[in-house]
Amino acid sequence: MIDGGIFGIVPFGDIIFKYSMFSTIGFVIAITFTILVYLTKPEKQLEAQKFGEDKLIDIPLHELKNRRYMAIVCGIATAGAMLTQDIFDFALFLTLVGIANIGIVSAVKREHVLNASFQYGLTSIIATLPLFGASALILAKTGTLSILELHHLNKNLLFEKILYGLGMAGETGVAPYYAAKAEMFRAPGSPYILMIHLSSLLLIVRTVEILLTI
Amino acid sequence: MDFNEFFYLINLTVYAFLIGSLLLGLHRKIMAKIQLRPGPPIIQYLLHTLKFYFKEITFPITAGNPLYIFMPILQIIVWLSALILAVKLESSLLIIIGLYVLQKIVEHGCGLSSGSPYGKLGGVRSVFSAAAEIPLFAVVSTVYIVTNSLIISDIVSYQQIHGPLILKLPISAFAFFILLVSKAPNSPFGIVKGKDIVSGYLTEHFGLLAGLIYIGDAIAYFVLLWLFIAIFLGISNIFLALPFMILITFIISIINGLTPLLAPHHSVMLQITIAIVVLLDLLHRVIFL
Repeated sequence: MIDGGIFGIVPFGDIIFKYSMFSTIGFVIAITFTILVYLTKPEKQLEAQKFGEDKLIDIPLHELKNRRYMAIVCGIATAGAMLTQDIFDFALFLTLVGIANIGIVSAVKREHVLNASFQYGLTSIIATLPLFGASALILAKTGTLSILELHHLNKNLLFEKILYGLGMAGETGVAPYYAAKAEMFRAPGSPYILMIHLSSLLLIVRTVEILLTI
Repeated sequence: MDFNEFFYLINLTVYAFLIGSLLLGLHRKIMAKIQLRPGPPIIQYLLHTLKFYFKEITFPITAGNPLYIFMPILQIIVWLSALILAVKLESSLLIIIGLYVLQKIVEHGCGLSSGSPYGKLGGVRSVFSAAAEIPLFAVVSTVYIVTNSLIISDIVSYQQIHGPLILKLPISAFAFFILLVSKAPNSPFGIVKGKDIVSGYLTEHFGLLAGLIYIGDAIAYFVLLWLFIAIFLGISNIFLALPFMILITFIISIINGLTPLLAPHHSVMLQITIAIVVLLDLLHRVIFL
């Protein structure tokens, strides 16, 4: 027993969504934050100037629209990742979150933020190899990608799990890959930046649940 | 939910808040004694929390609303949910850990939404110190491998038959204990609220909002101590766990009283080192057991 009891399963053809206590809480959190991001106006950051008085940094409307859109995509992808019962779908949601994360900060016209975003992008692209590679290996070894099916198979998937974990670590930018990602958080626009952080944390917990289940 | 159950939840919340507050007060008192100061009374944290309810509320002109107001409320929601799911329902440990990581979001959100440079630094440091969560996931995985369940009631039942997990999983218990140390005030790992950045993410939250954060912190301290005692000592009763909570607070206070605040990179590297040790322990158990 890992996820605290199942409420129900919703099959959409190949894609199966499971509502357990764990996944429902994760889903509700992701959706709540997505709504909050839509409603929140970004803060004005106070920056010290070399000469003269401190300056309030405001986010222009066109930049705000781009970043808000990417943050909402990120929130919806995270909510989907909380419910899916397919390893490949989860990997797709993870990469979509990675792309959305870069999108959230790529509209910021500051060199250090764009550099950090570029480096995180490279890590994220490289991390897709172990992520999808592990999915392919699991499929080749067991003949299924369904988490519900893999739970009953009892196959030794240690190597594939380590690869999958490494892929997740790169994609979500946790230690030891966090350096570039933490620099991205220096960009103004707290609700959008917060969505990057929230999606990473929820996806890490979900990956731990998947790796313990299969 | 009937009236008795509702009444029990209210009692549990008040109990957790009072015990958490008094333990944090005790922590401050012991630290003061170590530093040869008389220190404030043990009920100081409680008085401090109540004081904020009579203070005026103002919002910084730089704040991003409603995120700025929502974050302290989220702190309360997170820790009340964790209290009910852990202590009342004895549900999955993974859900509690999932709620625990939301604390990072609160720290980050409070810091960034205020627009203050100190809050922003506190928020960025909170992202850096996310390395502290890796040992936690390794601890959860190790507990699952040994007990074959992550439901807290199952873990407690397992210990009633096989003895406390602290003897079987000393490395995991140590990693969890370090987490408790890092969450206590004036911790060597407390870079998020370090005095070098005023109060970190709390700098721009005052009045009622600060009061909410203080209540959340007190309940969080209670829940984390209870979790440690339930998972590694097998005691889930909130009254029987109380002497152990005092003992652990005493040990934590001595550690925090005698160690200086680490620099951010030292704090993160130390936590990553602990994470590597716990991950190796996990790998060893997966391969050989």
